[in-house]
Amino acid sequence: MIDYDYLRPDNLEEVLGLLKEHGPKATLIAGGTDVMVKIRNTKKAPEVLVSIRGLKDLRYIEKRKDYHIGALTTHRMLEQSELVRTELSALYDGASRVGSVQVRNVATVGGNICNAAPSADTAGPLLVLDAIAFMEGPEGKRSVPITEFFTGTYKTVLKTDEVLTEIKIPGEMEHFGSAYWKHSRRKAMNLPILGIAVSLKLDGEIISDVRIALTVAAPTPVRAYKAEDFLKGKALSDEALNEAGKIAASTECCSLRDSLRGEAWYRAEIIEAYVPRMARLAAERRSK
Amino acid sequence: MKKVSVSFTLNGDSVTAEVPVTWTLLKTLREYFELTGAKEGCGVGECGACTVIMDGEAINSCLCPIPEVEGRSVTTIEGLADEDGTLHPLQEAFLKNNGVQCGFCTSGMIMSSKALLDHNPDPTEDEIRTSIAGNFCRCTGYVQIVESVKMAAKDGK
Amino acid sequence: MEEKMPDHLFVGKSIPRTIEADKVTGKAVYIDDLKRPGMLYGKILYSKHAHAKIKKIDTSKAEKLEGVRAVLTGQDIPDVRVGFLKDQTVLKKDVVRQYRDEVAAVAAISPEIAAEAADLIKVEYEKLPAVFDPFEAMKQESQLVHELDARGRPLKSNILPLPWKFEAGDMEQARKDSTYISKDTVSTTWVNQCCMGTSGCIAEFDQNNNLTLYDQTNVIFGHIGRITEYFSQIGLRGKKIRVVNPVVGGSFGTKLDTDIYEFIAIQLALKTRKPVKILFDRKEEFRALPPRQPAVFTIEQGCDKEGRLTFRHCEAILDNGAYTSWGATTPSVMIMPMSSLYRVPNVYFKATCVYTNNIYAQAMRGYGNPQATFAVETSMDTLAEKAGIDPAEFRLINRNRPGDDTPMKLRITSCGLEECITAVKEKLNWDNKKGKQKGRGVGMASLIHVAGGARVTKSDGHGIMVKLDEYGHVDVIESGTDQGQGSPTVISQIVAEALGVRPEDIFLTFGDTALALWDAGTHASRHTFMAGNAAIGACAKAKRQILEMAVEQMPKIIKSGFKRKKRKDPGFVEPDLDFGLIANPEDMDIRDRMIFPKNDPDHPHFKLPLTQILQNGLHVGIGQSKVVVAEEFYDPPTEMLNWEMKGNLSMTYAFGTCGVEVEVDEQTGEIKILNLVSAHDVGKAMNPTLLLGQIYGAAYTGVGYGLTEEIKVQNGRVMNPSFRDYQMLTAMDVVPIEAVIIEPIDEAGPYGAKGVGEPGLVPTAPAIANAVYDAVGVRITDLPITPEKILTALKERK
Repeated sequence: MIDYDYLRPDNLEEVLGLLKEHGPKATLIAGGTDVMVKIRNTKKAPEVLVSIRGLKDLRYIEKRKDYHIGALTTHRMLEQSELVRTELSALYDGASRVGSVQVRNVATVGGNICNAAPSADTAGPLLVLDAIAFMEGPEGKRSVPITEFFTGTYKTVLKTDEVLTEIKIPGEMEHFGSAYWKHSRRKAMNLPILGIAVSLKLDGEIISDVRIALTVAAPTPVRAYKAEDFLKGKALSDEALNEAGKIAASTECCSLRDSLRGEAWYRAEIIEAYVPRMARLAAERRSK
Repeated sequence: MKKVSVSFTLNGDSVTAEVPVTWTLLKTLREYFELTGAKEGCGVGECGACTVIMDGEAINSCLCPIPEVEGRSVTTIEGLADEDGTLHPLQEAFLKNNGVQCGFCTSGMIMSSKALLDHNPDPTEDEIRTSIAGNFCRCTGYVQIVESVKMAAKDGK
Repeated sequence: MEEKMPDHLFVGKSIPRTIEADKVTGKAVYIDDLKRPGMLYGKILYSKHAHAKIKKIDTSKAEKLEGVRAVLTGQDIPDVRVGFLKDQTVLKKDVVRQYRDEVAAVAAISPEIAAEAADLIKVEYEKLPAVFDPFEAMKQESQLVHELDARGRPLKSNILPLPWKFEAGDMEQARKDSTYISKDTVSTTWVNQCCMGTSGCIAEFDQNNNLTLYDQTNVIFGHIGRITEYFSQIGLRGKKIRVVNPVVGGSFGTKLDTDIYEFIAIQLALKTRKPVKILFDRKEEFRALPPRQPAVFTIEQGCDKEGRLTFRHCEAILDNGAYTSWGATTPSVMIMPMSSLYRVPNVYFKATCVYTNNIYAQAMRGYGNPQATFAVETSMDTLAEKAGIDPAEFRLINRNRPGDDTPMKLRITSCGLEECITAVKEKLNWDNKKGKQKGRGVGMASLIHVAGGARVTKSDGHGIMVKLDEYGHVDVIESGTDQGQGSPTVISQIVAEALGVRPEDIFLTFGDTALALWDAGTHASRHTFMAGNAAIGACAKAKRQILEMAVEQMPKIIKSGFKRKKRKDPGFVEPDLDFGLIANPEDMDIRDRMIFPKNDPDHPHFKLPLTQILQNGLHVGIGQSKVVVAEEFYDPPTEMLNWEMKGNLSMTYAFGTCGVEVEVDEQTGEIKILNLVSAHDVGKAMNPTLLLGQIYGAAYTGVGYGLTEEIKVQNGRVMNPSFRDYQMLTAMDVVPIEAVIIEPIDEAGPYGAKGVGEPGLVPTAPAIANAVYDAVGVRITDLPITPEKILTALKERK
């Protein structure tokens, strides 16, 4: 029968102490929408659950020189933030499409990326927003660009005695427009069949800088570098965007597979169709 | 079986529950407090039948570990009507507009709607649909549920 | 059967569901909420293979677990065969034939302990080759799913011995008379009913071994029949069974058979001598609950130069899974649209059900009609195209008309099909939108369904009992099941209207066989029609009793009233009244809780409250007191299908048309429904708001059936057993629906009403398929119509 200790430390220091004390027996839990489901489905639980839900200090959305988002910020907070919606639009798109309001009210962006599903809806947006993940452990604080954060399916660089504390997005992303498309059968309560995030900076009609990220297109969320390289410096035209879409869909940028939710050939079609559409949307938002 | 003692506000009353630590808020409501309005439709946060309001926000109580409820304020469907039985405008509206058919999703549906109206007394249809997107219903096709919420919003003014 | 009042007080009005207020306050008690003292929880262990021999079952660890009260395997219970064709036992003993076969069961003091115990049961299997394709399974050389039949005789093939064949007219001649012929193959797959309340029951034996089954079944008496038969084979012959419905969390066809889990609960209750509850979790509901019957149809239709249908020829193959439930009988309903949707004089339909090691199917809203109508209405469009006739026009040419006798011998009485097709055309702006392509298109499909009962068992009766107490409360003892469709409100409207009281005076008991008379079942969209007519009949009798009481009591009451007045006021002059006005019950009436003479409804002295009459009639004081109670068992003059599958099995038929406008993204195949019009011929709307709820809900499920829902079965295993992966639509998947209600008052229906529970679902999928064809020129013949299929078809076309 499932049984565990449920600890609710008040601050980060306590959390780190507990993680050290219990070692591999302990698992962090924030909103619980991944951990509780896993316990229910596998009928197995860790011996110790260390809840960080109460760490209010890690729940914030601030713009200083850069954008600072506390790891325990809920998807709902991101969804309802005017700042996120207008200046970090792709993140708004991703966060607002996760599950349902009930899930978004408790599920945290930190939890979303630490769970590291290849389908994580905030991963693509954070990749195209040049996010940096900040962590803290017994050895102190460190940071890792989000491009290096995911190491495999459900795997990250986060050590078992570390806690993700913040996601920082560089202030210059303010000059980018961004968008995220979650491709799914229905408009809510779905994992994406495919996710496409695009951010770009325009110099007149020329794409001066661009980021493209794909989710459910590889074992981890990935950037489509070859497609980005192709687009940089090109004019915002159907021709260029369509070609970028084709490159993004190719094996140069991703490794599509058949799965229960969708087949590889279809996923390629969606990448080809939606990279241009999201680029246009990002451009539109940039000009606002 | 490790137990935990959790004190919180339930439908306006101060209560304490002593239950296994592994219990969820849903199980605690249904088994300890015998408030069976919130239902288990899936147990994994995928259907919304267990929706209650905690500190003003709609949550899936089936995913809420009971220790997290310490010191919080929880409202369930049983806490909506007045003590003299007068129904909340949402409850009235659902009965008038056929927003309830078999009723299994109704508790969750009304709580999601209440959370919306408490924050946003004059929602658009899009906002209503977003707020109940996590509540499945097989009977109604959602049309009369949306109409019920609109009516309740109007009556509440 | 009609009570004609100058204007109805309650029937036809959108009375709120106040009678069901418990559902909005969390008070309604569903099977999930119901507890009995000492109750145990049952859990079922399912097979891990699609086809395997059971070599050994080791239950020792499970039995030792603290809190476990019983562990059963096929060895522990009698080998009784159950199911429509008696092809399975309750717990599988030697062989498992499906991934979800029930192999063992546990009863324990908590559901968690029961589940843990089930996990501790060790089963040793020897895998056997399995067959998952019905076309393969049909072949001579195929692996047999069943070696023996119910009587132990060897079986030679996987084809079920079922007589699903229908013929009418002269097919050969009809082909010769056809100017245009079209042929299509279409297929539909498994979809889950998705009741929000999962399956479950509580079985409880009393000291004398009589059973009470708290159960969500829609066929409370059908259950008793099947359980009685089961009892007679397990040493409980003659024992009484009582079935009691709690509040039901949706049915949609899932509650029409007696399922294995119900027999298991009974066995666990027998073993433990305690009440045992089995409640499915959602995974179980997706994996183990029999879903809608899949089917593959090859259909041909022909028409003459003028577009009149000459023949319809169809063969269907049904993947039956390893055992039979009502899925195997869906062909008996498919015959209805096949033979009678539109006027078609020559018809051939044959359905072959085939055993495989896939999951087996039961009923689901529409019961074979949605599948068959997908075939017929796809073919109507392809044939219309061949003939060069607009699809709406083609349907109008061939529409059913009032007074028709169909090849199946259905007698069409009221029929609003023309009005439905026309309404859809108008609302969709059909003539301006059809044929434009460029990604936008319109399509339509119609339906026929039983709407006045459905004689599938020898009795198609429904009994209602009505009794009044002296306070004017009316108890209505219903024989049906309230599954959420609004019956408590509708029946109370009908009773209030018929009796002359108010809906809030009515208290209904549903689904309790100890009280109910008898009912064939709350299915086939028959409830309002049958219960309504029975209620009207019972109320007529009760009203008669009341009025007889009135003519006896009223003069006494009035005269003694005058005597009292005279005592108080000697100057009082007794008015000269004509008591002849209230001498005969036929001259009296009841309305709004008052009794009065028909010819003088506002008579100053002869208008008395109903309660006063009831009290005086009961408290007479010198013997001869009376209570008011009446019953009516309504069994209409319809026929069972004869051996040719022909017969007028319903008193009346529902018609309707669904029209859809879609927009298709040709780059991604994504489909958006811009407009959905659902027009229905309902006879008379009993309660317009409730009626709309039936139409919206059914149409929306139909959209899911057409576009997004499918149970993915791979090698016999359900791969998407969750709401996350099974694509039932959410509130954000908006489909602008407009309902059109056509009311050709039906003479047979209660106040003119016809059934409407299922029709909304039937034509939606083919309407969408037809609209997609109009939009982008590709026809998807295999449900659901996914973007992938559209994109593939578009590419193939290039």
